[in-house]
Amino acid sequence: MKGFILLISAIAFAVATCTAQDFKSTLKKTFDEFENTQDQAQKTQLSNKLGLIAKKWNNEWTAHYYYAFSQAVLSYNEKDKTKADAYVDEAEKEFDDMKSIQGKENDETYVLAAMIANARLAVNPSNRWQKYGKIFSEDLQKAKELNPDNPRIYYLQGVSKFHTPKMFGGGKKNSLPYFEKAEPLFAKESSDDIAKPYWGKNENQYFLAQCKGDDKE
Amino acid sequence: MKPTLHTLKPTGKLLLLGIMLSGSVATWAQTTISGRVVDDKGKGVAGASVYIDSSLDGATADTAGVFKFTTTETGFKTIVASDLGHENGGLPLDIKNNSSITDLTIKLRTEKTHKLNEVTITAGSFDASNDKDKTVLKPLDIVTTAGTQADVVKSMETLPGTQKQGAENGLFVRGGDASEAAILVDGMVVQNAFFSGPPGVTTRSRFGAFQYKGVSFSSGGYSARYGQALSSVLELNSLDLADKSTVNLGINMAGVYASGTKLWKNSSLDIGANYNNLSPFYGIANTNFKFYDVPVGGGGNLRYAWKPNKDGILKITANGSYISSGIAMPNPQSPDSSLNYATKNTDIFSDISYRQMFKNKFSLYTAASYSYDYNDNSWGGYPYKETDQRAQYRIEGKWYATSRFSLLAGTEMQHYSIQRNAFLPSTYGVDSGYTKMDQSFTETQTAGFLEADYTPVYWLAIRPGIRYEHSALLNQSGFAPRMSLAIKTGDNSQVSLAYGLFYQDADNNTLLWGYRPDFQQAVHYIANWQLNKNDRTLRIEGYYKTYNDLVREAVTNGPYDANPYHSLAGLDINNSGYGYATGAELFWRDKKSIKNFDYWISYSYIDTRRLYKNYVSEVTPDFIANHNLSLVAKYFIDKWQTNVSATYSYASGRPSYYPTSGATTPEWSSTTTPDYNNLALTISYLHTFGRWFTVFYLGIDNITNAHNVFGYRYYTDPGNNTVQYRSPVVPPLYRSIFFGVNMSLTQFAKDEL
Repeated sequence: MKGFILLISAIAFAVATCTAQDFKSTLKKTFDEFENTQDQAQKTQLSNKLGLIAKKWNNEWTAHYYYAFSQAVLSYNEKDKTKADAYVDEAEKEFDDMKSIQGKENDETYVLAAMIANARLAVNPSNRWQKYGKIFSEDLQKAKELNPDNPRIYYLQGVSKFHTPKMFGGGKKNSLPYFEKAEPLFAKESSDDIAKPYWGKNENQYFLAQCKGDDKE
Repeated sequence: MKPTLHTLKPTGKLLLLGIMLSGSVATWAQTTISGRVVDDKGKGVAGASVYIDSSLDGATADTAGVFKFTTTETGFKTIVASDLGHENGGLPLDIKNNSSITDLTIKLRTEKTHKLNEVTITAGSFDASNDKDKTVLKPLDIVTTAGTQADVVKSMETLPGTQKQGAENGLFVRGGDASEAAILVDGMVVQNAFFSGPPGVTTRSRFGAFQYKGVSFSSGGYSARYGQALSSVLELNSLDLADKSTVNLGINMAGVYASGTKLWKNSSLDIGANYNNLSPFYGIANTNFKFYDVPVGGGGNLRYAWKPNKDGILKITANGSYISSGIAMPNPQSPDSSLNYATKNTDIFSDISYRQMFKNKFSLYTAASYSYDYNDNSWGGYPYKETDQRAQYRIEGKWYATSRFSLLAGTEMQHYSIQRNAFLPSTYGVDSGYTKMDQSFTETQTAGFLEADYTPVYWLAIRPGIRYEHSALLNQSGFAPRMSLAIKTGDNSQVSLAYGLFYQDADNNTLLWGYRPDFQQAVHYIANWQLNKNDRTLRIEGYYKTYNDLVREAVTNGPYDANPYHSLAGLDINNSGYGYATGAELFWRDKKSIKNFDYWISYSYIDTRRLYKNYVSEVTPDFIANHNLSLVAKYFIDKWQTNVSATYSYASGRPSYYPTSGATTPEWSSTTTPDYNNLALTISYLHTFGRWFTVFYLGIDNITNAHNVFGYRYYTDPGNNTVQYRSPVVPPLYRSIFFGVNMSLTQFAKDEL
């Protein structure tokens, strides 16, 4: 009997690790697919899947993190303002769930908070830059205090500058230093562990290439 | 599911465990599930997520709402469809191995109250705000509107319900004169909203558009929070914590200014100073009056904001200014001569306010203000001094009982005094003796108000209110009920209605002469319909107002006196005046149709008559044009980083009244001024030099140099009352040109890298 219990415990343990593995690999696979596709319909589908993952593994902060992230990304690409706002609502809700699991904030959560604020701003820039622009820069500042080597801080600052009209001090030339700063920091990161966010590398490369062209406006 | 593993018992469950383990190696038997997700109207919901509850098995609906997926789940399960903007929908399923379930239809109901589609009460009010998306105007729109010289109050003249002005300060709203519109900053009455100047010369308001996060203009039916304004309130809400530390510098044809802002973690301080000298402005133009002393002055301002906690904010503001000017203006009592009018004005406005939110359930707002204004004027060489002081206090609490019901209760107190020391010559410019006037009054008004916001269903919002007002000076009290509501008539349209009763003291001049008539009264009925979709707004509003107990000088003998500065000594002043105003207004704004192009049209028609002041009969007042039209257009040229803005304003002619020739009793005749036309243009060029964000601006007002007339002044020869002279009331200048530069530091820290 004792042996049997041991066997059972061993199997149970194996199953437990197996589901943890399952979770991580499912999440990673889904998220990587999300990152690698440019097709909106597929992105929507994969974000929905991330949503299911967040429902199934409700106690994993990473599940909520990536679902929130994907909803913010969908918001950026959504033309219908009401819908874009609804995506941000969902992202904020998931972000709050993540925060309550995680307890203490780290640089990555501040970066995500900044990104969500920026998504909110992007829905209606002329009306919202004052309020959400401030939240965006404050959150990135807090992230920087915790970890100045997080490349996503500079990447997001760069994107924000990139989309700021040139007359307000934005544009390609002014945003280039941010992407350049992020590049070597991205190079140091590995994309093996889904619990250590690594998004942004490819986009940073894209913007670097863009910025090396001339400002057209 | 992880937790179930811990409940596994060694006996009897081995088979189950075996199945679970085999799951990772063998393929499950699969069931195919397909169907369609539809909305209330049977239309497919594209992008909806469809899944078996508590599993990862699911799919996303295509553009027709069709979905298909396979699942390894079996037994009694729930299939769920979710989509943003819809409520979740689901169906119970009994999934059997290796079967297929087809032709499911999952219905999703549209989510009822969505953030962007809430019903809001709009009757009689225009909101400009940075915080809200759905506003008609933003503070930035005000600054970039041509012909308004970036003046908040002046820019309201491009909205429906207002009269075009050029010779008098203030807002003339829907049949009311300037004294019937109140201007408020953070709920505090601004006693002297405009810089002092000679009569007949308009001056700027004291507010800069960027000091405020929101502007709310009510052309009637306003909230029970405010009173003592028969027609309108213009509410300015000051900024909270500054956005960032910065320095702002500017120079233009009216002077130079500089300000600095320091932002700490939870507080911010702004300090600014300005020097004004209008020599360049008046220097290059042909003025209609002679400025023997061009307006010269200066001022300073200070603003401190502190957030003691996340949901509280304390604000302290102090502004002080001094300005002097001298002008030779037409003598109202003698047509061929002019009078020197000199003004030296000192003005202080200070304000402290605190707002605190408690657990999103209760909010408290309290504010106190003190203002002081001293005019050391002289008119035709005779001193004319006026001192105004006002202390006020307001406290209000709002209880958010549920998300659909809130209740506001508050009280306010206004204590003010006005003192006038003047010499009133019997005839200006002629040494014919004078009367010395030392007049003053002190008024204490107290008020209490109660207002509820109730949204019983998503398509209906109701705001009933009641206000109690008491005047110590008049020894009179009144209850003023207010009511407004909005009904959603479609996804993007709504109807609003408002009703209100409003009281106001007699104007200051009447009170200074020692008369104590009862409250004047106005009743407003307003209905509007608004369509707001994709940055396009259409608004149609109609109203009817009645005026009762208007203060009237019941003169029975002697000819009608057309001089607006006439003496009120020994008259029978009572509340026998009355009147009405009715009108229709249209507002259309489109920011969408053409990229970077934004335009709006406001048109107001008004029919109003009143018997008040020294009027002889019930007539259309001399400040009323029946038709007012504004066309505002703005275009941003990306390539040149330049904003071009043009405003065309039109108003039909106004009536003007004069004593009937030869009459010995108060009889009058009337005439009409020509139509008013004004085409204004503003060009701004934006550029960032290093860390300095710079705006160069050039404004031309009245490009066509139209000779606009705002009325006529009449003078009857004292020796022969059949001989009359008239002079037109004209603005200080017709065409004017204004240019300047504003620079602000974009960031203090050297870099963020």
